[in-house]
Amino acid sequence: MDAEELNLLSQTLAKTMAATPSGPVLCSALNELGWREMLAETPDVAVPLVFRLLGETGAHAPLLADVTGTGTLPYAGGSWVSWSREDAEILPVRRTEAGTPLSPEALAAGRRAAGWWLLGTGRAMLELARAHALDRQQFGKPIASFQAVRHKLAETFVALDGASAVLSAAGTGELPALLAKAAAGRAALLASRHCQQVLAGIGFTSEHSLHIHVKRVLVLDGLLGSTRELTAEAGRLVIDSGAAPRLIDL
Amino acid sequence: MDIADFRAGLRAWFTTHDLTPPPAAPADVGAHVAQLSRVRRELWDAGWMRYGWPESVGGLGGPAVLRAILGEEVAARDLADSGFFTLVEILVPTMIDYAPPELAAELVPKLLSGAEQWCQGFSEPGSGSDLASLSTRAVPQEDSWIVNGQKVWTSLAQYSQRCVLLTRTAPGHGGITAFLVDLDTPGITIRPLRTMDGAEEFCEVFYDDVVVPSSRMLGQPGDGWRVATDILPYERSTCFWHRSSFLFSRLDRLVGEAEEPDAGAIGSAYLSLYTARARCRETVRRFDTGGKLGPETSVDKILLQTAEQELFDSARDLIPGAVELDDESPWRQEYLYSRAATIYGGTAEIQRNIVARRLLDLGKEQ
Ligand SMILES: Cc1cc2nc3c(=O)[nH]c(=O)nc-3n(C[C@H](O)[C@H](O)[C@H](O)COP(=O)(O)OP(=O)(O)OC[C@H]3O[C@@H](n4cnc5c(N)ncnc54)[C@H](O)[C@@H]3O)c2cc1C
Repeated sequence: MDAEELNLLSQTLAKTMAATPSGPVLCSALNELGWREMLAETPDVAVPLVFRLLGETGAHAPLLADVTGTGTLPYAGGSWVSWSREDAEILPVRRTEAGTPLSPEALAAGRRAAGWWLLGTGRAMLELARAHALDRQQFGKPIASFQAVRHKLAETFVALDGASAVLSAAGTGELPALLAKAAAGRAALLASRHCQQVLAGIGFTSEHSLHIHVKRVLVLDGLLGSTRELTAEAGRLVIDSGAAPRLIDL
Repeated sequence: MDIADFRAGLRAWFTTHDLTPPPAAPADVGAHVAQLSRVRRELWDAGWMRYGWPESVGGLGGPAVLRAILGEEVAARDLADSGFFTLVEILVPTMIDYAPPELAAELVPKLLSGAEQWCQGFSEPGSGSDLASLSTRAVPQEDSWIVNGQKVWTSLAQYSQRCVLLTRTAPGHGGITAFLVDLDTPGITIRPLRTMDGAEEFCEVFYDDVVVPSSRMLGQPGDGWRVATDILPYERSTCFWHRSSFLFSRLDRLVGEAEEPDAGAIGSAYLSLYTARARCRETVRRFDTGGKLGPETSVDKILLQTAEQELFDSARDLIPGAVELDDESPWRQEYLYSRAATIYGGTAEIQRNIVARRLLDLGKEQ
């Protein structure tokens, strides 16, 4: 797929996600657009694109099960959740009995997908906060002119761009996927905190869409291992092998 | 030469050429500079130091990424101070782009081959972050310029033969002019300053009626601001790759030395460093394929400086006392030096200002 085709596909997907009710309806719409074929043929293109766009558009659909092969997924703290095929304001994820452990490949694929979703969600929050900062006036000027506000948004931007580089480098392999999910979770949690602060009162209401993103980040972070757990797991791996795997070379 | 051949050849060469530094106190800058000269000389004589630089300055050509790989291999073996080793990355491109070609051809090989050290005289007592306010004056007189003023924090000035100096020749950003000044010129006084890590790395440098030939001007009168900002793409590609490699070597060392390494802290330091490295690779690759680097490299800078401080904070936590009680511990000097990572090369706050203004397009500050 060349850059122009990719761009076109990206626009079509984003439009569909924005115009279709989340959950099973969106799932069918994406299937019609060829989601499953794309996933089978070009997962390296399909997963980053589709999951990032879910985050950016604020939509959701039960696509993670297509990537991992199951809707019963490990969650933080050794617990399990199931992802049902229904609509829900945040995500249709519920506690459930322990399921069958995922294969290392399925786990890695799921972590990459969840990572892209977290990144997209972080970007959606940053865009909301940025627009608000430019729009909202206090003390006779836009709050975007205050350095404390600017630096919070700048730090969010940096964290998300860093996570994007880690996700892009996650090609195959278990450790790169683990690090990618951890980097994305860390960035999205930071984005939640900073953007919530910049949006202040209005961002604390249920009318404003920020809270949906914030709560989704909390769920996505817990799925397939939380940032805290994955970071510690990476640390144990470094300690056990006596050196930090570079993974990335020029 | 392609990347894989270069790396393999270099690694093979290192197996028969041991450049391990002789023992020296961590804060002995003189010893570090001597070692730096030795490493450069050996690498130059063997050709490795010449790859990635154009033939016009004594190089052997090839992509800049070869220099990043050389830096990585040097860092992996701890052969030279990582900050000092990469100084050429910010000095040589200035010469290639702005010096008269004969001057660059004559002098750059002396720097690359370790025969000379050079320094960068930008900051002044009154001009740090606000570099464009600098006031060291240069006034034309026949075919020379007379320089008067004071620079500060000029790293390695006391060991250097030459300095890339920014001067004021007219008001405003467009009134800054750069020169390559010989530091043995009469009227120059260099006074080393002791830093908090116990080293004498940077200096105050006083310029009193210093006569600089016009042929030493870098670019045209008024090009100085561009000279200063054009360095950034180099600092933030090849230099950062080298720095991240150095930091990885310290993470390895930390894991080896910590008696009870905490998985959360090690994992977090690793994640931060790995993130900086992933970002840096994107930047190096973009640069290497002819892409222009701009304000987006402030992201790289923030990621790397944050990772550096987190790593040394963890070292202090996990090797208790090494930093504050053991005078001779390398952790002490490196921990303290890491405190400067958010200061030199544009402070952490200035980087965030750039991200806010240029990347997030938030308009003017209050
Ligand atoms: C180890 C080391 C080596 C160095 N080597 C060299 C060298 O070789 N050559 C050279 O020329 N210089 C060198 N420097 C100097 C370095 O570039 C300056 O220290 C740096 O530019 C900051 O300037 P300053 O120290 O005057 O701080 P200031 O600019 O006075 O800043 C003080 C504080 O105010 C903050 N601040 C300033 N302006 C703003 C703003 N607009 N918004 C928000 N916050 C702001 C800064 O972030 C900082 O926290 C070196 C510095 C160090 C520490």
